[in-house]
Amino acid sequence: MEAKVIIVTFRDIFQYEAGKKSRYSDEYRQLSAQILLDKQDMADLGVKDGQRVTVGNELGCIVAAAKASEDDPHPGLAFMTNSPWSNQLVRDDICETSIPGFKRIEAVVSPTEEAITQITELLQRMRA
Amino acid sequence: MTTCTGCSLLCEDIELALKTGAITQAKNLCRKGQGHFQALFTERTRPMIDGQEVSLDQAIGKAAEILKSAKLPLLYGWSNSTLEAQAVGIDLAKKLGATIDDTSSFCQGILMERVLTGKIPTCTLDDVRNYADTSVFWGADPSNSHPRHLSRFAYYPRGEKRQKSYEEERTCIAVDVRKSATARLCSNYYFRLAPGQDAEFIEAILAVLEGKIPKFGDKKRMIELGTILRKTEYGVIFPGLGMVYSLQEKMDLLETLVVKLNEITTFKVIPMVGHYNMRGFNQLLLDLTGFINRVSFKDGKASHGPENSVIAAAKRCDAALVIGSDPLCALPFATARALAKVPLIAIDPRRSLTTDAAKVVIPSAMYGLEAGGTAVRMDGVKIAFEPAIKSDLLSDEQVLTRIMEAI
Repeated sequence: MEAKVIIVTFRDIFQYEAGKKSRYSDEYRQLSAQILLDKQDMADLGVKDGQRVTVGNELGCIVAAAKASEDDPHPGLAFMTNSPWSNQLVRDDICETSIPGFKRIEAVVSPTEEAITQITELLQRMRA
Repeated sequence: MTTCTGCSLLCEDIELALKTGAITQAKNLCRKGQGHFQALFTERTRPMIDGQEVSLDQAIGKAAEILKSAKLPLLYGWSNSTLEAQAVGIDLAKKLGATIDDTSSFCQGILMERVLTGKIPTCTLDDVRNYADTSVFWGADPSNSHPRHLSRFAYYPRGEKRQKSYEEERTCIAVDVRKSATARLCSNYYFRLAPGQDAEFIEAILAVLEGKIPKFGDKKRMIELGTILRKTEYGVIFPGLGMVYSLQEKMDLLETLVVKLNEITTFKVIPMVGHYNMRGFNQLLLDLTGFINRVSFKDGKASHGPENSVIAAAKRCDAALVIGSDPLCALPFATARALAKVPLIAIDPRRSLTTDAAKVVIPSAMYGLEAGGTAVRMDGVKIAFEPAIKSDLLSDEQVLTRIMEAI
């Protein structure tokens, strides 16, 4: 079971505050490694609030917690806070404006039993 | 009074009571500012080389050695440093023949350039408080990004000509792909777009302003929006990253919209700059080189282009100095990985992914709390501030000066 989504990143004051205190805190991970999905998309995927999903594309893959969006229905559209987790999936092609695709990430979401990706693992990937 | 450097509103009315290890009392500090300042007491950096603690002199010496021997150094960050530190940084880039870029490169840069060069009319936030009756938050969510924007300027205050304020005289409109906290506040005046539809939305507004039937969106609501804009006495558009990322090479459309609106009434634009002194860096570099960001001083003269953006330069530089920024957290994985693989010098008050991957870490004082200086608010107003407490830590300006002297 999988769903293709466009992920739009956004700013969240609580995630910002957690990240300022420590990039390595549980709170920062919980508010970053989280994807807000349309309720019907979640039902189609067979996942409930808090269940883990892989979010991946040709650039990388992370495991995040799924959360039902309280917004109006937005099938095929998902939201994540801007963080090293979402940045694993962001294209950085060079063009005239040189703006990476932070707010238009094409990805595939599917349920998983794997553990949530840790920030230490993301840092290891960068340094590998 | 303390000035908060947590965002580009640079709130100057903060009252703090501090004890060792904590802020015990705070007045006028928003949640974002609280997080920013409280971080002073957690995970401070220490001078390091290759993960080993060293003296500050050793760290500065090593940084100078790395930069001096590099053929293609990149100097990046700058938006969280004062104008004084930025000026030294630009001098350092000239001396090294380095590439210099700031966060505006992948943020508000393409819009800020038009504002700073006068292509798009702007105003101050004080004008907004005193005169604005319509504020359009477009791809922006100040409730999360600039928490006191609405209370100090755009919506709630009783300004000189807006004594009846939000109850009767002010209208807030939100245009966004998600129903953000700000969009919820705007309630009936929230216009939802799909990702990338901002250009079509502008064309639809232009159509209704010209009395035509819009080809996009709910016709009745678009006509209602056109009516609000037409009846506005003093309007301000606050573009956030949502709009900038969506429009990109179609930014001319925003210019066209603002020209059209100003044929009818008064409309200004203030980009919703994130970091507290991004606009300061853009203005300073513009004054010195003619470009707001993405400058290379290789071969002794300033050249500009996308090849000098941090996104591109990270992949070809052979050393990088990052100041007051955490690109390993904020930039796409491929860019972060490129930076993590070169000798990296990080100047920062706090631990971050970037300081953890850096070859050299140099601690610095946190501006606002531990060091003073001058910065430019998101609307172009210059703000000078003094530190709230005494600190033995060097400011960014002092660290950079020491590096310059050692090269």
